[in-house]
Amino acid sequence: METSPSVEHGVHGHHDHVHGHAEHHHEETFLTKYVFSQDHKMISKQFLITGMFWGVVGGLLSILFRLQLGWPNETFPFLETFLGKWAEGGKISQDFYLALITMHGTILVFFVLTGGLSGTFANLLIPYQIGARDMASPFINMLSYWFFFTASVIMLLSFFIQTGPAAGGWTAYPPLNGMRNTAIDLGSGLGFDLWIAGMALFIIQALLAGLNYVTTVLNMRTKGMTMMKLPLTIWALLFTAIVGILSFPALLAGVVLLEFDRLLDTSFYLNNIIINGHLLGYKGGSPILFEHLFWFLGHPEVYIIILPAFGIVSEVLAVHSRKPIFGYKAMVISLLAILILSFIVWAHHMFVTGLNPNLGAIFTLFTLLIAIPSAIKVFNWIGTIWRGRIRLTSAALFAIGFVSMFISGGLTGIILGNSSIDIQLHDTMFVVAHFHIVMGIAAFFGMFAGVYHWFPRMYGRFMNETLGQIHFYVTLVGAYCIFFPMHFMTGLPRRYYSYGNFETFNNFNNLASFMSVVAIIVFLAQLLFVVNYFYSIFKGQKLEGEYANPWESNTLEWTAPVERMHGNWPGDIPTVYRWPYDYSTNGNDFNPQNIPLKPGEATH
Amino acid sequence: MIAFLSFAVIVLLFTVLVLIAKANELANELKDGKRDYTTQSKINGYLLIGFLIAMFAGSAFAFKQLMPVMIPKAASIHGAQTDYLFNMTMVIIGIVFVITQVALFYFAYRYNESRVKEAYFYPHNNTLEVVWTIIPTIVLTGLIAMGMYEWFSIFNRDDRDKNELVIEVTGKQFNWMIRYSGKDGKFGERLIDTAHVSPTNELGINWEDPKSHDDFLSDKLYLVKGKGVLMKLGAQDVIHSFYLPHFRVKMDCVPGTPTEFYFVPTMTTEDMRKYLSTLPWWQTVNPETGQPRWQTFKYELACAELCGKSHFGMEREVVVVTQEEYDAWLNKQTSLYDATIKPALTKKDEAKDEPAVDSTKTEIKKPQAMLVGKPN
Repeated sequence: METSPSVEHGVHGHHDHVHGHAEHHHEETFLTKYVFSQDHKMISKQFLITGMFWGVVGGLLSILFRLQLGWPNETFPFLETFLGKWAEGGKISQDFYLALITMHGTILVFFVLTGGLSGTFANLLIPYQIGARDMASPFINMLSYWFFFTASVIMLLSFFIQTGPAAGGWTAYPPLNGMRNTAIDLGSGLGFDLWIAGMALFIIQALLAGLNYVTTVLNMRTKGMTMMKLPLTIWALLFTAIVGILSFPALLAGVVLLEFDRLLDTSFYLNNIIINGHLLGYKGGSPILFEHLFWFLGHPEVYIIILPAFGIVSEVLAVHSRKPIFGYKAMVISLLAILILSFIVWAHHMFVTGLNPNLGAIFTLFTLLIAIPSAIKVFNWIGTIWRGRIRLTSAALFAIGFVSMFISGGLTGIILGNSSIDIQLHDTMFVVAHFHIVMGIAAFFGMFAGVYHWFPRMYGRFMNETLGQIHFYVTLVGAYCIFFPMHFMTGLPRRYYSYGNFETFNNFNNLASFMSVVAIIVFLAQLLFVVNYFYSIFKGQKLEGEYANPWESNTLEWTAPVERMHGNWPGDIPTVYRWPYDYSTNGNDFNPQNIPLKPGEATH
Repeated sequence: MIAFLSFAVIVLLFTVLVLIAKANELANELKDGKRDYTTQSKINGYLLIGFLIAMFAGSAFAFKQLMPVMIPKAASIHGAQTDYLFNMTMVIIGIVFVITQVALFYFAYRYNESRVKEAYFYPHNNTLEVVWTIIPTIVLTGLIAMGMYEWFSIFNRDDRDKNELVIEVTGKQFNWMIRYSGKDGKFGERLIDTAHVSPTNELGINWEDPKSHDDFLSDKLYLVKGKGVLMKLGAQDVIHSFYLPHFRVKMDCVPGTPTEFYFVPTMTTEDMRKYLSTLPWWQTVNPETGQPRWQTFKYELACAELCGKSHFGMEREVVVVTQEEYDAWLNKQTSLYDATIKPALTKKDEAKDEPAVDSTKTEIKKPQAMLVGKPN
C-alpha cells in the first residue's frame, strides 16, 4: 500500500526480535503494490473486488433464469442477441437454464460468499485487530489470492466454450455429472471439467488461506491480546478457517474421483448405468458416496459462509449500539458449538436418498441441536441493542437486517431438519426460500455491514450514507418480497424450467412474475452499491486527522494511522489492556483496547 | 430499442441518485471530526418500525392469498401426520418469529441515538442466558422426539399391510417405467447384464421366468384406497426422485442401488375432488380448461432430483381407486410378454435376429469398449 519511506518499521511485535533496516524501504513497483501484493490490506481489497465482480455475474445469471421462471411463455428477443443459440427465439433453452442455475449456485456459494466474504475480512481484520503487522506468511497469502484468481478465470472461461458451462447443478451429483463421454446433456462436457479444475484451485486457495489465518491468530497476537480479548470477528474468522481446513479436503477428494470416473472410466460413483437400453460397463460404484463426500464439505460450507457474517455483525452491532456485545463468552461458546456440530449434520441433505432410517434419525437430532447455539446468538444480538444508543448508519442497518434475515431463514431450518417433514419438502422451493434467506441474503447483509463499517479503514474515506441506506431498504424489502412468498410454493420441485407440465404445480405463475420483477429491482440496488463503492474510493468524504476512529470503536484497527502503510503501525505495535467491548463504561463512551486500565478497574 | 431505452433510463436514474446522495452528504459535514448521527438515526428508526408493520401486513396478505393455492391436504396416512408436525412446528416458529422480529425492530427504533442519551452498560446476565438456552432446548427436544417417532413409523417394516400392493417404478431420462406384477402378484426376475438388457428390454426382464409373463407396464400409477403400497424404486441412467406431492412421498431412485417407500393412500381421486369442491379457490374456473379447478384435479408423479434438461417434464398421472375398480382395471391390462415377446416367438425365423434398433432413439456416444461383453 501507500508505503511512506520515512516510516520506521523497526519493531515487529513485542515478543520478537527487532530488525530495523533498509530492506523495508525498497521502492514498490506497480506490480508488487497492486498486483502481486503481499500486503494483507491490498489482498483483502483484491478479494473484495473480485468477489463483487462475481456477485454481479452471479446476480445477473439469476435475473436471466428469473425471466424464464417469471414469464415461462414469453420470449425476450434481446436475449438471443446476447446469448445466441442458448436463447434461440428469445427463449432461454432448457440446457442453458440448468447452466444458469448451476453457475449461479457455484459462483455465489464459493466465489462470492466464501472467497469474497472470508477472503476480504479475514485479510483485512485478522492482522489489524490482533495487532500484527501482517499475516504469518504474506507470501502464502498472496498465493491464496492468485489461486482464487486463477480458479475465477477458469470458471469464467467455461461460459465461453461451445458446449457451455457446467449444467448439472452446483452439487455436481453423479451419474448426471459422472459420465463425460455419454454427453447426456449440455454441461456434462468440457464445461464440467473446467468446473472441477476451477473448484480444485479454489479449494487450494481455501486451504492455503485458512492455514495462514489460523497460524496468524494463534501466534501473532500482540502483547496483552489474550484469546478472551479477541473481538468476535476474529473468533468467527478463526473458526471459519478451521471448518474450511477440515472439510474442503473431502470435496477435493470427491471431485477428483468424479473426474476419474469421467476421464478414465473408473466406477467410483457408477454402477449398472443403462442408457437407452445399453448397459454400460461401470460396476460397483455408488452415487451416494459422492453425496456423502460432497455434503461433508457442503454443509460445513454454509457455516464457512455464515460464521464471518456472525463475527462482523457482532462487532458492528456492539460498536454502533455503543454497548458491549451481550454475553461475549456465550457468543464464543456458541460459535464453537456450531463449529463442532457443523461436521455431523451433513446427511440431512440426504434424508430421501434411501439411507438407513437410523442414520436419518441421528442426523435429525444433530441438525435440530444446531438451532440452540443459533438461538443463543440471536438472543444475544437482540440483547446487545436493547438499551443501547444505536446509531442507525448503513452498517448498523445491515447488521440489524442480518439478524432479521437470520431469524426468518433459521426458523424454517427447524422444519427442514426434521427428517419426516423433509420427505415432502426436500428439493422443493421451500428449501430454496430457506437457504437463500439464511445463508444467501443474511451472509450478504453481513458482508455489506462489514464493507460499510470498514470502508473508512480500507480507503480513508466514508461510503455515501444516503446511497447506502437506499441500498439497504430496497434490498431488505425486496429480499423479503422474493423469498417470503416462496415458502408457500411448498412442494414445488426446484430446478424446474417450467411448471406447465403439472396441474399440481402450475398455480403460482402470477407470484413467479412478481418475484422476478422484484429480483430485477434488487439486482439494480446491488449495482447501486457497486457504484457507491467505486465512487466513494475517489470522492467519498475523507476521514479527518492523521489518526481517525470514525465509528469510535475500541478495536485495534482504528489505532493505526488513516494513511495505510506496510506494517500497519509506524513505530511500536499497540499493546492490549482491555476487552474489545468496553463501551459506555468507566465514564467513557468507548475505551480502546490499547488504553491502560485505570487504577481499580477490573478487566472482563 | 426497448433494451437500450431501459438501459438509458437506469443509467439516468443512477446518476440522479448519486447526485442527490452527494448533495445529502454535504449537509452531513463533520463536527470536530465526528459525524452527527442523530437525524439519520431518527429517520431510520421510524423507517424500521414502518418496515416491521409492513412485514407483518405483507405476511398476513401472503397467507390470505397463497394458502388456498397450496397443494391440498395429504392423501396418505403418514402424510397427515407429517403435515400435522409441519403445522405444529410452523406455529411454534411463527411465535418465535413474531417475538424476535418485534423485539429486534422495536429496540432498533426505541434505542436509536435520537431517543437515548446514554447506553446502558450490560455485558451479560447468566440467568437470562441460561433461560434462553434451556427453553429452546426443551422445545427442540420435543420436536426431535416427535419427528423421530414419525420417521421410524414411516420406515417400520413390521406395521405394513400383509396384502400390500407392490409396484416397481424405474426412472430414466425422461420418463417413468411403472411395472405391475399382474394377476399372480409376483414380479418376473430382472437380470442386469448384456444378455438381457437391450433397447427392446430396457429393464432386463428375464422372459424365461414364467412369473414375468403377466407383468405389465402402465402409463398411469394406479393405487388402491386404504391398501398399503410398497414402491420398489430404481433408476436406469442418473439419479431421479420419485415424488408424489399429494401423498407426501419422496424417495430417490438411484442407478444400481434399489430403494423403496411404503405408504397407504387414504383418498381416491374422486374423494379428493369431492373434498376440493367445497373449497372456494378450487371452485374458481381455471382459464386454461374453462372448468372449475376441482373438476380437473389429478394426483401426479413428478421427478424431484435434477436429472437433465427435461427434468421438469417427468409427469405421470396417479389414480387412486377402490379395490373393485382396481381389479377391473387390472383385468383389462395386456401383459408386456403377450404384447411384445409372444408375437415375436410365433414368427421364430425373424426372432432369431436382434430386433432392429431405432437409431434415433438409441444414439449413444459412449465408446463401444465401455459396453460390457456377454458374461461368461
